[in-house]
Amino acid sequence: MANVLDLRRRIRSVKNTRQITKAMKMVSAARLRRAQDRMAAARPYARMIASVLESLTRRIEIFDPETGNLRHPLFAAREEKRVLLIVVSGDRGFAGAFNANIVKAAVNFIDGGKGKQFDIESVGRKGRDLLRRRYPEARFSQGTDEQPAARQERRGPVELTGDHPGMLVKLEVDPVFELAQNIIARYIHEEIDAAYIVYNEFKSVIAQRVVVEKVLPLGKIGGQEVAGATEPSLEERERAAQAALTAGIPLEEADTKEADEEARKFGTANVDYIYEQPPEELFNALIPQYVASILYHAMTESVAAEHAARMTAMDSATNNASDMIDAYTLEMNRVRQAAITKEIIEIVSGAAAV
Amino acid sequence: MAESTTTNELRVRLVTPARTLVEAVAEAVELPAKNGYMEVLYGHAPLLSELGAGDVRMHGVRGENQAAEQIFNVNWGFVEVLPDRVTILANDALRPEEIDVNRANQQLDRGLKQWNEAGESEEAYDQALAVIAEAESKLATAQEKA
Repeated sequence: MANVLDLRRRIRSVKNTRQITKAMKMVSAARLRRAQDRMAAARPYARMIASVLESLTRRIEIFDPETGNLRHPLFAAREEKRVLLIVVSGDRGFAGAFNANIVKAAVNFIDGGKGKQFDIESVGRKGRDLLRRRYPEARFSQGTDEQPAARQERRGPVELTGDHPGMLVKLEVDPVFELAQNIIARYIHEEIDAAYIVYNEFKSVIAQRVVVEKVLPLGKIGGQEVAGATEPSLEERERAAQAALTAGIPLEEADTKEADEEARKFGTANVDYIYEQPPEELFNALIPQYVASILYHAMTESVAAEHAARMTAMDSATNNASDMIDAYTLEMNRVRQAAITKEIIEIVSGAAAV
Repeated sequence: MAESTTTNELRVRLVTPARTLVEAVAEAVELPAKNGYMEVLYGHAPLLSELGAGDVRMHGVRGENQAAEQIFNVNWGFVEVLPDRVTILANDALRPEEIDVNRANQQLDRGLKQWNEAGESEEAYDQALAVIAEAESKLATAQEKA
């Protein structure tokens, strides 16, 4: 049996761990709050872009009546043979099953599309590391002055074409916009037939789910086309609620309905607008912004969800450490008592023997 | 200029992907529309337009902690004009003092280099032109301030 000194040492060690997990939880809570603010701040723009584009598609025929051509190639739906999947995960671990869940959703989605080819763009370091173990990376030939880098033959139906580590650490608009333009270019050049994004949606601390959302081709503007979603279990939800409560995070999102309504009116007033530019140009300008705003929105949500997941995980870890300390303290007291009792018995029986 | 009463003023909002930058009441707004600058006063006909690289200038701004004249350099944007309201969506909006002249110069060099290397590709030319226009408008704004 362990002696008192051993147990005391172990208790001290667990106490140290508990301090660390507690600190990490509070840090995550603070980051979560900031991420939530950013999500709220980014909402008006996304809404406005979506509503003006939606109103344009309602007022202007998507097909040009004179030539019968599509106003923008991104409206064209093709048979899905080559699919691009953007996987948004976290950059760091210690967040419970956050990264594993996202990768699982991505893998399920890929396994569900038999006979299709998949290109993966991973955002976030953890997801990339996990996916890299499963799928080969795409190889590109060295680009020369006359000839840009070209893609070499595929090594399998699923390949990683790019990764964007660090994009989430300091989430900014420009890199996301570049990614969006890259995806659009690939769609227009028919390198891909569809684009999906996998990320952790964050409605509030207790309402989160991993979703696979369709990005291209553009379907209904402003609506979300979800191709698959994994809801958290009731137990997970309760744990998250508990963690949020102890960290002082409000469970429900602040009420932004009024601002949302306001944003939704953008470009939709019931009047005849003067269009400064021909509709094609407006579409050309707005659509990349719209796609970028979908991606940006997904990433802000994912960042918030990651912090929330870490907060929950660290809250559980702190609770577990407390339980462990209690158990060890009890055992230590028992061992000490046993030692004392044994000594007394020895003395008493020694005295009796005399 | 028309006399400003409380009724004929524009509510102006400047929104970027990251946040709502400005929400104010102004007498007039100058906008760098794609095919030339335009100025919007109260009662303008409803209009949708794309913005190019240039300055958004707000005149006669009223509101707490707001300067009367405000300038923002935007790179690309989209604007909705309604008789009493102007909403500007911009990729990024910088106040003149926020412009980094060195970076803008670098950007200009990069744009010129792209222009020289564009070759036959129309797409590459357009891209280079956009970079050059953005850098030049930034420099112009910064210089005016200095």
